[in-house]
Amino acid sequence: MLKKSLYLILSILIATALVVLQTTLSNLMWLSSVDMPVTIGLALKTFVGDLIGMNSSGAIPLVGLVAVGMLLAYTVAKILLIWVDTKKSYAYGLAGAAAILAIVLLMPLAFYNLDLIAGARTALGKTILILCGFLSGYYFGSRLEDKE
Amino acid sequence: MKNLKLFLFIIFSSICLNLASEEFDYEIIADELSSPWSIAMIDDNNILFTELSGQLRRIKDGVLEQESVSGVPEVLFAGQGGLSGIILDPDFKDNKKLYIAFSSPDEGKSTNTLEVISAILDQNSLTNVNTIFKAFPSRRTAAHYGARMAFLDDGTLLITSGDGFNYREDAQNLDNHFGKVIRLNTDGSIPSDNPFINQKGALPEIYSFGHRNPQGIVVANGLVYENEHGPMGGDELNIVKATKNYGWPAITYGKDYSGAMISPFTEKDGMEQPIKYWVPSIAPSGMAFYDKDLFSSWKGSILISALVPGDVRRLVMNNSEFIEEETLFSDLGRIRDIVISPNGSLVLATDGPKGKLIRVQPKK
Repeated sequence: MLKKSLYLILSILIATALVVLQTTLSNLMWLSSVDMPVTIGLALKTFVGDLIGMNSSGAIPLVGLVAVGMLLAYTVAKILLIWVDTKKSYAYGLAGAAAILAIVLLMPLAFYNLDLIAGARTALGKTILILCGFLSGYYFGSRLEDKE
Repeated sequence: MKNLKLFLFIIFSSICLNLASEEFDYEIIADELSSPWSIAMIDDNNILFTELSGQLRRIKDGVLEQESVSGVPEVLFAGQGGLSGIILDPDFKDNKKLYIAFSSPDEGKSTNTLEVISAILDQNSLTNVNTIFKAFPSRRTAAHYGARMAFLDDGTLLITSGDGFNYREDAQNLDNHFGKVIRLNTDGSIPSDNPFINQKGALPEIYSFGHRNPQGIVVANGLVYENEHGPMGGDELNIVKATKNYGWPAITYGKDYSGAMISPFTEKDGMEQPIKYWVPSIAPSGMAFYDKDLFSSWKGSILISALVPGDVRRLVMNNSEFIEEETLFSDLGRIRDIVISPNGSLVLATDGPKGKLIRVQPKK
């Protein structure tokens, strides 16, 4: 139980870190495209700043948002796994993807179509974020499989 | 009985005339207004103002007309959108012409855009309504319209156009109207000396670019002062000049609402610096240049109404140089607009579904 909880927390942290990374990189890539002097050192500093900022000074702490989404999606996945015979890594991967999908689709509905996560403003950005959700869910499911 | 009369008189006076201030008299001109947004003074006692929900209202001889002005186009009242900026033509006394900026729904689509119309005020109706500007392209969002206007001394009209929130990077491209100040003739045609008129790929209406959500613009002493909302922090006061790039979102003093960095840069060659910026945000809204005698010590100041926490900022200026800031009227809540009445008093619009128009004069 303790290990499962640890995997769950790690999975949420991985998803959060990946969402932050995607946001940081999408901002910096655009800045670089307009000739702003983006360096690797600055990118690292910005990523660390975003990791802290998005989880402490934003309108909604990202890690809390991701945690709520993941917990709901994993609970649904766990119930479905009673009847559906599939690998846990795939099931939780899909659940993680669904959690992020819900976040990036539902948040704009609550804020006049505004995408508060800047990286989610394009279709490509949304797709990458959903993939981040899948990877974190896949990690959680594969850890459970290993434990079994 | 005498005491009762005195008591009632005091209550009545406090409701109708005075809120509370040691230095100023606040007179409530109108209340229970539906998000008043922008005010245009015809004279001291005749005022037009917009309500975000779509009404153009009129104060005639000091009294609010119960019926709103008819002939106003349909607006998208959602988010930050609605009936927004209003400005009178410089020859309004003769031609009764005015201009209104608003968020306009695209017919049969889920998109909308910033639109500006000209119209003639005939009694309590708008006639000869003509669209003189529609921002391109349309947006899905209902935020960051800009929608303020000012006349340059040559009679051309400046219109602020916000970045639409989701489209911030487009503020750096000249092929669209997001995050721009627009310059037009009053019939909607493009002035032949517009700065980008001969630049391939640039929209010819553009005057300056790299703005976020400009919420105040005023022309005084040949300078164009413009304020704009930053994100979390980074609200700016700029002096707008033709062709100039004001940097958003490549340089900014603010952070994103998510807490993320929008840009780690605050300056770059070729991008203009604000003459004043605010961290944390004050959410600047309307803006006026004080050039009257009633508050004689304020002459030459810029007055900016602010939504957060709700006050007016008086900026002492030496033309393009910011000297110092004073906070005024912090007991009135969020203030959406500020204008100067011809007699030198101020008229403020407080924000929200129960907004008020308040006249401010020196305490007698």
